[in-house]
Amino acid sequence: MRRSTFMIGTGVVLAAIALLLLVNAGVGAERATIADARTGSLVATLGLTDLALFTEASYTRHPSLTDLNTPFQDSPLSFEHFPTGSLMQPPASLVHPHVAKY
Amino acid sequence: MIDIRNVSKVFNTGRPNEFTAIAGISLHLSLQETTVLKGPSGSGKTTLLSLIGCMTRPTSGRIFIDNREITSLPERFLTGIRRTTFGFIFQRFNLLRGFTALENVMAPALPEGEKYAPLKKRAIDILGMLDLDHRYDAKAEWLSGGEAQRVAIARALINNPSIIIADEPTAHLDGKLSGEFLSIMEILKGEGKTIIIASHDPLVYESTLADRIVEIRHGEIGGDGALP
Amino acid sequence: MSRSIERQLHLIDFTVGSILRRKGKNGALLLVYTLVIFVLASVLFFTRSLRTEVAAVLKNSPDIIVQRTLTGRYQFIPVRYADSLRSIRGIASIAPRLWGYYYDGGFGANYTLMVPTIDTVQSGTIDIGSGIAKLRKIGIGDIVPLIGYDGNPQTFTVAHILADESALVSADLILMSEADYRVFSRIPEGYATDLILTARNPREFPTIAEKITRLLPDTRPIVKNEILRTYDAVFSWRAGIIMLLFTVVILAFFIFSFDKATGLSAEERKEIGILKAIGWETGDVLAMKFWEGIAISLVAFFLGAIIAYAHVFFGGGFLFAPILKGWSTLYPSFTLAAHVNAGDLFALFFLSVVPYTIATIAPAWRVAVIDPDAVMR
Repeated sequence: MRRSTFMIGTGVVLAAIALLLLVNAGVGAERATIADARTGSLVATLGLTDLALFTEASYTRHPSLTDLNTPFQDSPLSFEHFPTGSLMQPPASLVHPHVAKY
Repeated sequence: MIDIRNVSKVFNTGRPNEFTAIAGISLHLSLQETTVLKGPSGSGKTTLLSLIGCMTRPTSGRIFIDNREITSLPERFLTGIRRTTFGFIFQRFNLLRGFTALENVMAPALPEGEKYAPLKKRAIDILGMLDLDHRYDAKAEWLSGGEAQRVAIARALINNPSIIIADEPTAHLDGKLSGEFLSIMEILKGEGKTIIIASHDPLVYESTLADRIVEIRHGEIGGDGALP
Repeated sequence: MSRSIERQLHLIDFTVGSILRRKGKNGALLLVYTLVIFVLASVLFFTRSLRTEVAAVLKNSPDIIVQRTLTGRYQFIPVRYADSLRSIRGIASIAPRLWGYYYDGGFGANYTLMVPTIDTVQSGTIDIGSGIAKLRKIGIGDIVPLIGYDGNPQTFTVAHILADESALVSADLILMSEADYRVFSRIPEGYATDLILTARNPREFPTIAEKITRLLPDTRPIVKNEILRTYDAVFSWRAGIIMLLFTVVILAFFIFSFDKATGLSAEERKEIGILKAIGWETGDVLAMKFWEGIAISLVAFFLGAIIAYAHVFFGGGFLFAPILKGWSTLYPSFTLAAHVNAGDLFALFFLSVVPYTIATIAPAWRVAVIDPDAVMR
């Protein structure tokens, strides 16, 4: 086989696979919406506010609801949980608290 | 007819290592003849070959090939003309390493955009003419001296040029291979090709191949003798 | 026209031949390049998809949550506080919420205990999240002992296991009845963990929040879009580790491209000279170099992106699991839906293919314009 044919053929095949995956993404997104709806209704009925992604400590489990100094409340000598603590930034509610304006 | 009118070539103009390779040469070369440019190394023979073969432009002067001025042409046209009119055989062959004999022979024709199958066939035919078609698949660095020489010649012939230019072709060859080279040149001459060889090898300029010898010394023509 | 195409095909033939001359070096190059794209694309796909799903799911969170604080720390909230808030215009409903943490020493895991108000749980039973079921290898009907805050174990029977597809939000949940939870946690009657509010107009949330702090100075309201912003920040480009990873990799890539761009070896220069001498134009030489750059970078890009897609959307991004899991023993299993953002991909394409191709052509440029005469010497 001529080299350029092989090269262009490879390019075309790879592009085709990529295209197929994009189509797959489109299809998957529809299925996801249904799953999301079911999860969403669970969130609504239970009144959930956070993902169960970082369960190692209270301030990582519910970062939206945490106190400012919770990282150290596990014990006076407790270290921050890494890398989770580094992935989370302080929740917006703590950085910009709602203060009554008089 | 190759018409060279008062051509000079100066390298590194304006810099401390400014060097005049050719100072005001005028020359008429007939087509379908074999001309040998004879002279010691550093005499400017290679520069003159470069100028004739459109590899570089003269600092001053004009060159005409078949009454067509080539010195003023833009690079694209010049390259196209060079590609189809001239075939070059370099002193050290200058084959492309890592490529096969066939690929080396086809290389000068690639920019022409000819269809692959006929081009490949023509290349193999030329290699066959030089008894090398069985080695078409061999990588350039594995060819013997004689084989590399013939591949270099084949490459120079791929675009069916009318003018062959060879720069010191026998400099790195033994007597036997030099003789083979000259016989191949005789065949090409018989086909009506113009041959211009730069050489200070007596084997070349004393051979029956040479129709005319032009002596070049220090960038100027010394003697200019047509042989009977 | 067909001559131009055939010409380019010839040049591509030549380019591939040229690349194949150094199989080892170019193979390693392709491998590293593909790996770089794989890592970057994986991160892009993973974070983008997670962000999309999180936003879709957490938009159902309560509009406003009211916490009580004492000396700057969280405290239980009296349920009667809800009465004071009912007068605020714009609030549609207020309800107390009971929940808390539970540390399971035997498995080193943290659970979240909750009391649902809709679809209540029967006393003596619990609904558990799929993550807990997998961790403790328990199923419906099994009896689970939990140690109450008085130190004494209480047993509960598993009534339901929450759907695995909702694991991302429910993997560590234990749902129980209010009566059971109050006994278990000793949160007294009349007190709750916090209050959840729904309001009619999202644009009024901040105003309502302010009114809450004025009416109840010892409370801290948290508004829904603050929740969403918290998570958006985690998974967006700005998140610390992700940004660092990106910067380091892109920097390495540029250093590599720069190194390539700063010069050709003597052999490469000589070759360009030969090509010009045998009749190639400057444009042909540069086109060949262009194909060389494109060949490697396009293949690496597509290959890296395809493998990254498979890694994230078919393999659940398993290489990221250790980072995300951290110290937690309980990690939700979730398959991410394939949300691919075209902007992300274009950015990756332009940051990789373009600099690499330029880096391949640039050093050849200077050499390609020289008179071929130099090669005669």
